[in-house]
Amino acid sequence: MGQFLIRRLALLVPTLGGVTLAVFLMLHLTPGDPAQIMLGEFASGAEVQRLRRELGLDQPLLVQYVRFVGRALHGDLGVSIRSRRPVAREIADRLPATVTLTASAVAVAVAAGVTLGTLAAVVRSPLVDSLVMAVALVGLSMPTFWSGLLLILVFALSLRWLPITETAGVRALILPAVTLAAPAAAVLARITRSSILEVLQQNFVQTARAKGLVERRVVVVHVLRNALVPVLTIVGLQAGGLLAGAVIVESVFARPGLGRLAVTAILARDFPLAQGIVLVVAVMYVFVNVAVDVGYGLLDPRIRYR
Amino acid sequence: MGRTLARLALTVLAAAALASGAVSQAQPRPGGEIVLASTEEPDTLDPQRTSTAVTGLLMRYLGDTLVAKDLAGQYTPALARSWSVSRDGLVWTFQLREGVRFHDGAPLTAAAVKASIDRALAPETKSPIAGALFGPVSLVQAVGDRTVVIRLKEPFAPFLDNLTDPRAMVIDAQAAQQLREQFGRKPVGTGPFRFQEWRSADRIVFARNPEYRWAPAYAHAGPPYVERLVVRIMPESAAQVAAFERGELSVLSVPPPDVKRLQAAGKYTFFSFLRKGVGLFLEFNVTREPFTDLRVRRALNHAIEKQSILQIALEGLGEVAYGPLPPSIWGYWAGIAGYAPRYDPARAKALLAEAGWRPGPGGLLQKDGKPFQFTLYTAPIDTWLRSAQIVQAQLRAFGIQMGIQSFEFGTLLAKLRAGEHQAEFMGYTYTSPDILYLWFHSANVGTGLAFSHYKDPVLDRLIVASRTETSPKRRLELYRDIQKYIVDRALWVPLWINTNYVAVQPTVVGAKIHPDGFVILNDASVR
Repeated sequence: MGQFLIRRLALLVPTLGGVTLAVFLMLHLTPGDPAQIMLGEFASGAEVQRLRRELGLDQPLLVQYVRFVGRALHGDLGVSIRSRRPVAREIADRLPATVTLTASAVAVAVAAGVTLGTLAAVVRSPLVDSLVMAVALVGLSMPTFWSGLLLILVFALSLRWLPITETAGVRALILPAVTLAAPAAAVLARITRSSILEVLQQNFVQTARAKGLVERRVVVVHVLRNALVPVLTIVGLQAGGLLAGAVIVESVFARPGLGRLAVTAILARDFPLAQGIVLVVAVMYVFVNVAVDVGYGLLDPRIRYR
Repeated sequence: MGRTLARLALTVLAAAALASGAVSQAQPRPGGEIVLASTEEPDTLDPQRTSTAVTGLLMRYLGDTLVAKDLAGQYTPALARSWSVSRDGLVWTFQLREGVRFHDGAPLTAAAVKASIDRALAPETKSPIAGALFGPVSLVQAVGDRTVVIRLKEPFAPFLDNLTDPRAMVIDAQAAQQLREQFGRKPVGTGPFRFQEWRSADRIVFARNPEYRWAPAYAHAGPPYVERLVVRIMPESAAQVAAFERGELSVLSVPPPDVKRLQAAGKYTFFSFLRKGVGLFLEFNVTREPFTDLRVRRALNHAIEKQSILQIALEGLGEVAYGPLPPSIWGYWAGIAGYAPRYDPARAKALLAEAGWRPGPGGLLQKDGKPFQFTLYTAPIDTWLRSAQIVQAQLRAFGIQMGIQSFEFGTLLAKLRAGEHQAEFMGYTYTSPDILYLWFHSANVGTGLAFSHYKDPVLDRLIVASRTETSPKRRLELYRDIQKYIVDRALWVPLWINTNYVAVQPTVVGAKIHPDGFVILNDASVR
């Protein structure tokens, strides 16, 4: 197991290398000059050139990239062009909020999605099945900026149950987590349902029933563990997406987060900050996927690691 | 005797009690907080280094400038109690107020003011405002403790006006030197509020400055009544409106679709002011076909019906624009509305025909076998996109096919600077007519804002004269001539100037709007 972990984590190197190179190229090849943006419209050409030299932006791309990688290996992610604070500080300021929101959203999505999907698969009623799938479809189709605002209007403004401008505490987390989780929960519901239906066909289920086990025990202990393997894969993929892609929910609910920071960085062509965020998110993504792989082993004892 | 004295004493006491009661009724209740919202987070709170507009707004509360403008738009003393300029316009002398202190307790002296301006101008600061705001400064001198002398290389007419810009506020340069980069996260000024906390992407908190006694005449002299000023960063304006209606925000910049509804609610105090800038105009790139031809540009000025754009895209909340300056900026020539081309479809058709454009297949105009097609570059701003679609429909009726291409703002500016476009949508906010230099002087083609790429020595001369002329009367004449010239050359089709609406909660009393577009909070209190 240890060897397996080390080998998987070693994948970090080519992954990060590939990701940072891709992002670096995309950022630098997009029109728009950070020095110009920083100094504003009213700056002279000479001032812009001077700032470009100072920021090292006049060096060839390869040199800039190598410099970035070299510093990153020492833990120095550089300084944000826009705010002139260390990139690591900017990220650290927002990381707790991002992790909290993502973790809550994953928890809600898994709880709601798996429950709904199991219900749809196990309850032998076409009505319940259709209803659950319809709800899932709606959840998938609602754009988060719309559903988020709708939830604010209903729960915060009309019913006044929840706050709008607070960002700390559990109460402030409810609406954003639910908004973010809804599409993910919908996907998980559908996957869980198909997966369980498939597993229910298997021979060992008949055996379990023949042994006289209560249906609930059959489902929860035997079927679910097997059915959840593909679900776990999807959760892993979604968690990575939720980490970086919560920008819309963060904007609607005015919560600090890496998503919003990344968008602001890109719009301002703040290369060090954008690259730093991508690096951090890529690292988190790799760790999440390793955790998912380990999870497989826990769920299904047949899976062994070499 | 004793009883008379006692009665006298009682009467005096009673009178005093009544008087103090009366005074405390009129005196606003101290304490509480005022919550504002901003869609944008400041990049830094260092006024000399910022590129975000919201920082300027926040600096109104954190700092003071040498000179301010009162509610009528006239110059009024702020940190400088008086000032004078030499006849040749090169030497400005400011006499400072007594008793002013920075938030960290350091006294405001002439040396401190000099240090602040020197820092803004120093190349190491890389300040975006140095050149534009302070202009051609050659030397700043501190003469004694109370006198600051600023020498210019040449007369700079916008100088005094620029000094009222909040980014020209006096900062504690010593604190800036000690804190270095951190100064942008912990600014130190002299204003009615001092910096308390900045939680990234969440909120910025200012606390009352209890030592404050030097407000300009439009506010009471002492410290603010409220304890705290909180600025929430909320990128989504719909969420801001919801938060305001829930009572979580004290002041709201009302988006146009919500203005009528909130006014109808009847319980909020409303302020409105015309934007200081042209909210939207169509600008031609005169170096690219088909807009190299003046007749074509004039034809479009006659073809676009602006009143309907104002009604549909802006819900009527503003005014039609006729020239490069709005009525809200000094230097605006009132005659421009009558002088500018009117909506005149017949004249538009005649001009297009004169320029060689004839009706072709599909109802499109064509010339030399090519149809009249162009692409309008724009930013994805809601009111701009709506206006673009209306213009597109209007021009189609004349046989002109306009495509709309929207770019993220940074990319848009890069493309416009390079002259890639045929025409674009733009808008601006500025405080003085000096904006004409930025838009139309040939020095700014390719590097600055001159997206029309128009180079004309006649116009350049007029603009330079307006910047160096010291007589206000003569300056007004120059600006009038510039506005007429620009309209004559049809470089723009000015469209509209929006009205900004600010709503205030009924629990907040004493808030006032300043014509420069911010809410004065010195006299505000929370009920």
